[in-house]
Amino acid sequence: MNANSNLERQGKPALTKTEKRIALKKSIKKNKWIYLMILPGILYFFIYKYVPMFGLIISFQDYKPYEGIMGSEWVGLEHFKRLFSDPDFWMIFKNTLILFALQIIIFFPIPIILSLMLNEVRQMYFKRSVQTLIYIPHFMSWVIIVSISYVLLTMDNGIVNGTLEAMGKQEVNFLLNPDWFRPMYVLQVIWREAGWGTIIFLAAISAVDVQLYEAARMDGANRFRQMWHITLPAIKGVIIILLILKIGDVLELGFEHVYLLLNASNREVAEIFDTYVYTAGLKQGQFSYSTAVGFFKGLVGLVLVIGANWLAKKAGEEGVY
Amino acid sequence: MRWNQSYKVLIVFTVLIVLVACSNNKDESASNDEESGNQIEIMTRLHTPEVPEPNIEERIEEKTDVELDISWVPDNNYDDRLNTAFSTGTLPDVVYLGFNQFNQFKDAVRDDQFWEIGPYMDEYENLSKLKEDVLDNALVDGKLYSLYQGRPLSRQGLIYRKDWADNLGLDAPTTTDEFYEMAKAFTEEDPDGNGEDDTIGLTDRDDLIYGAFKTVSSWFGTPNYWGKQDGELLPEFMFPEYIETMDFFRDMHENGYINQDFPVTSKSDQQNMFKNGSAGLYVGSMGDVGSIYNDAKEINPDATYDVHNRVKGPNGEYGIWAIPGFGSLQLFPKSSVETEEELRKILEFFDKLMKPENANLLNWGVEGEHYTVEDDGAVPDENTQKFEREVKPYQSLPIGEPETNGRYEINDPYEPKRKSEELNKDNENFLITDPSITLESESAIEIGDRLQEGINDATYNYILGEIDKEEFEQAVETWRQNGGEDIIAEYNKSYENSKE
Repeated sequence: MNANSNLERQGKPALTKTEKRIALKKSIKKNKWIYLMILPGILYFFIYKYVPMFGLIISFQDYKPYEGIMGSEWVGLEHFKRLFSDPDFWMIFKNTLILFALQIIIFFPIPIILSLMLNEVRQMYFKRSVQTLIYIPHFMSWVIIVSISYVLLTMDNGIVNGTLEAMGKQEVNFLLNPDWFRPMYVLQVIWREAGWGTIIFLAAISAVDVQLYEAARMDGANRFRQMWHITLPAIKGVIIILLILKIGDVLELGFEHVYLLLNASNREVAEIFDTYVYTAGLKQGQFSYSTAVGFFKGLVGLVLVIGANWLAKKAGEEGVY
Repeated sequence: MRWNQSYKVLIVFTVLIVLVACSNNKDESASNDEESGNQIEIMTRLHTPEVPEPNIEERIEEKTDVELDISWVPDNNYDDRLNTAFSTGTLPDVVYLGFNQFNQFKDAVRDDQFWEIGPYMDEYENLSKLKEDVLDNALVDGKLYSLYQGRPLSRQGLIYRKDWADNLGLDAPTTTDEFYEMAKAFTEEDPDGNGEDDTIGLTDRDDLIYGAFKTVSSWFGTPNYWGKQDGELLPEFMFPEYIETMDFFRDMHENGYINQDFPVTSKSDQQNMFKNGSAGLYVGSMGDVGSIYNDAKEINPDATYDVHNRVKGPNGEYGIWAIPGFGSLQLFPKSSVETEEELRKILEFFDKLMKPENANLLNWGVEGEHYTVEDDGAVPDENTQKFEREVKPYQSLPIGEPETNGRYEINDPYEPKRKSEELNKDNENFLITDPSITLESESAIEIGDRLQEGINDATYNYILGEIDKEEFEQAVETWRQNGGEDIIAEYNKSYENSKE
């Protein structure tokens, strides 16, 4: 890209500002239909993503619905102070980051590995049916995933504990023991989302030039070498972009999922910002405080995305912007 | 030419979008017009899986001469939906609130967002029959803003497997010790006689209030949320009886007399254990015996149940916690009920709902089709599915109670269910009421739920044996420090004020 534009620039004299503007106008006029086509997209983002941002104002107010944004009292950083001085704040912050780290370190590579493995499968029908089977769980709601886990893991006639007992082993209290919360969370995420995650990687793999493989085979590269030296480098860009996007979702750990798993015994490891917003804010109709917590969560996400993007660029990759 | 055409298509498309957007607005303004006629918008809880068929609604509309627009909100989402409607200013004409939500809305009530209806009550023959002492529980600064739907003050008690008890030669427990013995016997002495160790005593769920815990705690004499000690109001968990109850549960849990995973067990799983013959004791609403028996007889035809209420604690007295006497309150937001005229029309509608014929229609359906009358009581039709589909959802609408709206009491063909109705009345002889109902605490509204969560967690963990008494007291101390102290002070102040 850069090399190309440098070449062009050398061929032409530098343009003045007015000339540039005219050129831009011309190109817009010429491509007006194409520009028009992005209009719905822009409208969508404007209406659903930017307009609601003005609502963040209420995190600096003591918002009362019947008085509206204009009529509510301004309280400055009161709600943020309350958040940072909540004795549970650091616990929640830590839990959120740990679950996020587990998602990135353990969950993220799994769809990549899966799609590489699927890519090596020769039998087309086998590949297709495996692919379909592993992404079916994505269409089940968390309630179902969590309920199935409950039936399997409960101490009151659960299958897993029944088997353990039959084998003469000690029963394990999976549901109430805080040590089991994180493994259970990650396993359920893998169960539900790993198959779905392979779709993009498989698409990226299928775009790799077949000639490269042929050449490699000529050079005597075995299957593993081909994967290591061709497939992986070819989809590296996709992996990095998806990683950055994933980091952007950092604090979207799934309210529904965590809330369903949350109970009295595992709260010290399972309480995250989303569940906190629900119990401390929304459930008691405290709109301003909930917004303030959400705002803070968004800021953390923003910092992480910028950081990840910067790192990616440093490493010579293209970032998301 | 082709460009031109697509240009036209685009314009048409854009115009369509704009039109759709506008026409939505038009719909709204149109319905606003109708409202001033005789339409009433109601939002209420739906306790069944499906919205009801409209024939009852049509009959009620005919008899009261209004047009009803009911939005049915599933029980689980109701709080969220209500908050959303409130924050976006789209409350219906009539808002149904539970007691906890009512506390949350008191701010708005004080801010004059709802109609004060006290002055109108005497004008309506039937509304003026509503019980004074129940209405008192719903006053805000001494003014009345709401109607109420009545509920027996306490329906809490015990349901147990009668056949198991008979097999083991046990009678209904009259003390907490006997209750414990029964749970133990049901667990260890093979009450179903199948030679296998496959039964437990008590089945409980992830609910400290409507599950077994709060009811058992009142057998032990624990106050109802708040109680008085040395002249000061304190929360229930600062009373020794609360600790005794926890010890009681801890012991049962340790010995396996209660389901091991009860802190994560849902209501349906809890009831299933009771229906399929894994557990023999159920503490909660005694009226549940009807639906439990209905399901149980399909899978377990020999099972027989009985209900029981009088259980003495170690202090030798009976006690059972009471609710404020209403299940829901009806409020009328000024944002949707704009004029006094509209308010009168709505009050008139509710006045008509309190006529016996209408109250019966909403509670029992159509006589001869959904129920028959026997001994001055309603006998629901055997076709329970039809009843559930066509009548049950409407039971959340009527106001008052049998004494005031003249509807029939239930005359259930199933004997234990009838008995549970009698025991509900018997409970009124030894009620433990909640002194904080009419009291105010800003802190309780703001952080009460969050703090209570810490106590609930500690209670569960104590029962599970994860923490000891010292750690539980630490949790109570944390509660105090994080704002509990303020709640205590505010309730006590409010209590002093109310005495003056």
